[in-house]
Amino acid sequence: MSHMTNPLATPDQLYQRRSFSSLPAELQDAIIFSSQCLTQAAGVLLQLPQSATAQANVILARYWLVEPFMSHEFSDISAASLYLVAKLGPSPRSPRDISNVYTYLLSPASTLFRSPPSLPPLRSITSTTLSESAYQAFHSRILAAEARILYALSFNTHVSLPHPLAVTYLQAMDFLGVRKERIAKRVLAYLNTALLSPQMLYLTSQPNALAVAAIYNAAKDVGAKMPECEWWEVFDVDREELGFLVVGMRSVEGWARKMREDVPRLGQGMISRRTVEEEMEKKRGLGVGNGSGGGQGGGELDVEAEMARKMDEKMAEMEGVA
Amino acid sequence: MDGKRHPSSFQQLEKLGEGTYATVFKGRNRQTGELVALKEIHLDSEEGTPSTAIREISLMKELKHENIVALHDVIHTENKLMLVFEYMDGDLKRYMDTQGDRGALKPMVIKSFMYQLLKGIDFCHKNRVLHRDLKPQNLLINSKGSLKLGDFGLARAFGIPVNTFSNEVVTLWYRAPDVLLGSRTYNTSIDIWSAGCIMAEMFTGRPLFPGTTNEDQIVRIFRIMGTPTERTWPGLTSFPEYKTTWQMYATQNLSSILSQIDHAGIDLISRMLQLRPELRISAHDALQHHWFNDLMPQQPQQQQHHQQQQPMMQPHRGYQQTVPSQQNYESY
Repeated sequence: MSHMTNPLATPDQLYQRRSFSSLPAELQDAIIFSSQCLTQAAGVLLQLPQSATAQANVILARYWLVEPFMSHEFSDISAASLYLVAKLGPSPRSPRDISNVYTYLLSPASTLFRSPPSLPPLRSITSTTLSESAYQAFHSRILAAEARILYALSFNTHVSLPHPLAVTYLQAMDFLGVRKERIAKRVLAYLNTALLSPQMLYLTSQPNALAVAAIYNAAKDVGAKMPECEWWEVFDVDREELGFLVVGMRSVEGWARKMREDVPRLGQGMISRRTVEEEMEKKRGLGVGNGSGGGQGGGELDVEAEMARKMDEKMAEMEGVA
Repeated sequence: MDGKRHPSSFQQLEKLGEGTYATVFKGRNRQTGELVALKEIHLDSEEGTPSTAIREISLMKELKHENIVALHDVIHTENKLMLVFEYMDGDLKRYMDTQGDRGALKPMVIKSFMYQLLKGIDFCHKNRVLHRDLKPQNLLINSKGSLKLGDFGLARAFGIPVNTFSNEVVTLWYRAPDVLLGSRTYNTSIDIWSAGCIMAEMFTGRPLFPGTTNEDQIVRIFRIMGTPTERTWPGLTSFPEYKTTWQMYATQNLSSILSQIDHAGIDLISRMLQLRPELRISAHDALQHHWFNDLMPQQPQQQQHHQQQQPMMQPHRGYQQTVPSQQNYESY
């Protein structure tokens, strides 16, 4: 058992989820993106350390790797992940606090996924408290979702984050000769953004690889000089994985910007199961229960090969710049 | 751990004990007849699945060792969680009460138990797990003389950099002085302190430092180990619980307080009961201590004869044969 590593998704699991879910890929992306953002927002409002919120993001991603999206409300799974992680760490939060924060974030008073964002009138905030019976219902839904998550992950709640490793690596490399705060901040920004990645980078790579890729990207951004040698090998990362992660991490920002526009278009505020159902009906009158995993056979492989080729090119390009 | 099994797969027999957050029953697997310990955890209607249970399950699933009680299965139903553990006949506390002479055990039994205890601790520490709550009640014993660590409800994993931990850990009597002084950056050495206290207790039949409050616990330790100063323990005065009002006690000679323990044993226990955590011996090093050199298998004659040829070289390997794993499984 190692506490420095995480259980990773198998290629088969990733493929299954993408291809055999009843939901089209873009809806899956929208659900994951909005739920991860919701979790982050709730973590901030609950004043949880980012290490706890980031772990909740990873738990959430692991859960949806193995469980169908539509079995619980998305915001409930987000709340249960955060509740569970906080409970296991040094800063537990009461179900009541969780309820208050989620009620607010899902209400019209919140600016999360609402465009245009405008300051809500003060009185609308008071209207975001739940009635006692609604709270009881929320509470029992969260506990049920928590039990479901534990079952789905067979109690593997340990999440090893790359953040502390990245700082240790930076120290080992003397912060590449630039101002500590400048590069460290950039590294952490990459790591936090990667939590939202549609490629589920935290489920496909170990923390040491994520840390090295974030340092590589941050060094490029701030113009720091990296060692001439293949320094990533010192941290047990090979060139191929680094290349994949460097490109993957860089792409999240643009993708997230697009999502920020797409998600509010689906409906006001956080996406719910109802939003998804309505969207599915709009699309060719397709019910959610129907499978849409039509096999494309060989075509899929070509796409993958093409992707790999592009990444290699991009990697070589960046290397050339260095 | 597949959750397919149902609580009714086990026949519930008598109650074995009431834990901090669970009830433990003896049980029998209806299919195989195997005896098990069923730890029933009631899901709190307010908090849901207790964090202690989640920690215990996630750690125990990974910690497979002959000196750590094995978790066979987890059965999750709507309102309870049932952990299925391997069956052990009792705990060290009860063993001392029933088998001991006014609680005190025979030196060779103690040596065997200490060796197994340290093996279990060493395995935990190698896997970056702190037990944090070692006490006689949490050490399980079976009729073959095996000792296994149980109850990982307070255990937690540690990584780098070391987080600050809660100091609400470890039953008072077995709690390390650095934890009592309010340290939140303790490490593996807290389990070694507990092991030292347990070793003394097995020899005398009485707890070594039976404190009633945090403050009383500290004073009881100082009365025997001597009151530390900034000179003997650099950094002492920065601990949250440091008091300028402590009475100054001289360090006692452990061999006069624990006259039952031989010279080598005193040497080992005094390395475990170091006030300063960084001076405490590690589980790995403790296992190499010469006190264990004469550890002999209490086994059939010819095997013992065979063992005598190289006991000094391979004390632990010699020992392992007293608890052959096949024998453990014969009863299942």
